[in-house]
Amino acid sequence: MKKLRIAVYKFASCDGCQLQLLNLEDELLDLVEHVEFAMFYEASSDVKPGPYDVAFIEGAVSTPEEEEIVRKAREESKIVVAIGACATAGGIQALRNWANVEEYKKYVYPNPEWIKALEKAHPISDYIKVDYEIRGCPVSKEQLSFFIRQLLIGKKPTLPVDSVCMECKMKGNVCLMVTKGIPCLGPVTMAGCGAICPSYGRGCYGCYGPMIDPKPRALAQAFVKMMGLSKRDVALLFKSFTGWSKPFREVVDEYGK
Amino acid sequence: MSLTGLYYGKPVELVKLFNTLKSRGYKVIGPKVVEGVIRLEELGSYEELASNVSDIQEPGRYRLVDGGKYFRHGPDSPKKMLYPPRLTLFRITKDYRIEVPEVEVPKIAFFALKPCDLAAIQVMDRVQGCLGDAYYNLVRRNLVIVVENCVEPGGTCFCATMGTGPIASKGFDVAFTRIRDDLVVFEAGSSLGVELLDELELEPLDEKLYREFIDVVRRAYSKARPIELPDKLPELLELTLDSDMYKEIAEKCLGCANCNMVCPTCFCFDVIDIPYYDGSAERVRVWDGCFSYNYAAVAGGHYRPDLWARYRHWFLHKFSYWVKQFGTYGCVGCGRCITWCPVGIDVRDTLRRAIKEAEKHG
Repeated sequence: MKKLRIAVYKFASCDGCQLQLLNLEDELLDLVEHVEFAMFYEASSDVKPGPYDVAFIEGAVSTPEEEEIVRKAREESKIVVAIGACATAGGIQALRNWANVEEYKKYVYPNPEWIKALEKAHPISDYIKVDYEIRGCPVSKEQLSFFIRQLLIGKKPTLPVDSVCMECKMKGNVCLMVTKGIPCLGPVTMAGCGAICPSYGRGCYGCYGPMIDPKPRALAQAFVKMMGLSKRDVALLFKSFTGWSKPFREVVDEYGK
Repeated sequence: MSLTGLYYGKPVELVKLFNTLKSRGYKVIGPKVVEGVIRLEELGSYEELASNVSDIQEPGRYRLVDGGKYFRHGPDSPKKMLYPPRLTLFRITKDYRIEVPEVEVPKIAFFALKPCDLAAIQVMDRVQGCLGDAYYNLVRRNLVIVVENCVEPGGTCFCATMGTGPIASKGFDVAFTRIRDDLVVFEAGSSLGVELLDELELEPLDEKLYREFIDVVRRAYSKARPIELPDKLPELLELTLDSDMYKEIAEKCLGCANCNMVCPTCFCFDVIDIPYYDGSAERVRVWDGCFSYNYAAVAGGHYRPDLWARYRHWFLHKFSYWVKQFGTYGCVGCGRCITWCPVGIDVRDTLRRAIKEAEKHG
């Protein structure tokens, strides 16, 4: 059987998402029997040219060079999969999208003119057609593995699209909002993590970004009316890993004024 | 012999009843305090049964408080055991043989289950009787149910409205009611129940105690009947199909499906195929719900893309369509969807409003 040729691209990011591929320790030997990592710098400097069957793209596009590379990635890959909060929503570095990047450069670098940064950090889908998004900060290695295994048998990959609440309840967790009044983004955030944070008594930080048909404004209203949060705190809750995603951004803009 | 079928005894008889079930090899499951919430869990001994706690339940709010005599059900319902959230249906070997995993069917006895949850099991019986779920029916066959009648319904309860409580009338093996600190009323509801009560030291209820019992029952009923259902409710509610009320209510809704998950009768599921590297695969059933966006996505389109339509469907299914489908309401009035809704949407309000709206049309 012909091996699935995989390329792993990296833009502005921490490398944590592609590291999840290597973190599949127990199944790596099985994995490489079925796939060829033709380009995967974190694993090997031996890079083979495209075309590729699948491109996993990590990171946000934040420099002019990256704009070119991301278009090339689309051209040489059959399936494009954006992985992680940066690639799917802009990630943490998209927080600068609310600020003036030129000002930032002046504070951080002695020679700001050497830095070529785009005005904003962009999710991959701002530039190219993305076939699949695997969410999370970082992505779950189980989801990566499940995704690849579905491709291997020729199945159209499916990933969860519902709220974290559904996973949380199926896991047998008790709702933190209802029992402790802890603000939680679970009701508007896409499942897939296995409700990690609520399982440890912390409200969901929304790192998987908005679920399908999310209602973040209704949740924001409940945070204010039922839990007495200030508008600023509501804006800060939504303004994190995936704050630049459109549905969350709308809340940030409305409440953070 | 008691003419009313009611007997009374000291609270210690409950301990005996509990121990009898244990000694007969049942996995006894009942209300237990776990991290500040009443859960339905296996009880190692009678002492693990929740006591000296009370709960406050409001739309979108749950708090457990120390002290107090009565508590209500928490988020768990018997669905957790009878219809587990994740169940492997079968495995497919790499040479395409189907292997159904051997399941160890637990022998469960529910202890101090609330009448609404008993009613939920009866609703599930009809649903699974129609759908023929093998696992459900296997667990159900061995199931023993000891009900604790609800002397003090809680803040989100409406079992009396739905006719399922607060006092259980049928379908249990044993039902008990704590009418005083030192006095418990017992009733057998099956031949096994008679057998179990036979082992206890009980006396038939005399007239005086019977009146006391009835007073307790009356008070409980009045607390759990916030709405009187009109005749022909299912037909009446269909008149609200085009009403804007659902759009207005859904403005607040998050579509998170918490209500589906905590509902003791919601039975919808999804099926996930999990392939493995060696060419084998596993088919797993997981809970799903009509609030999930993908639930109504079908080949070629989507028949409830708007959240308000999903809310309307959920509501009308419980109170209208379910009756046509299964001959009973899909709602037992346990109020879990009210307490555990993160934004506190109250289905009792929806019901009141829909009745009013329908009567306008009718």
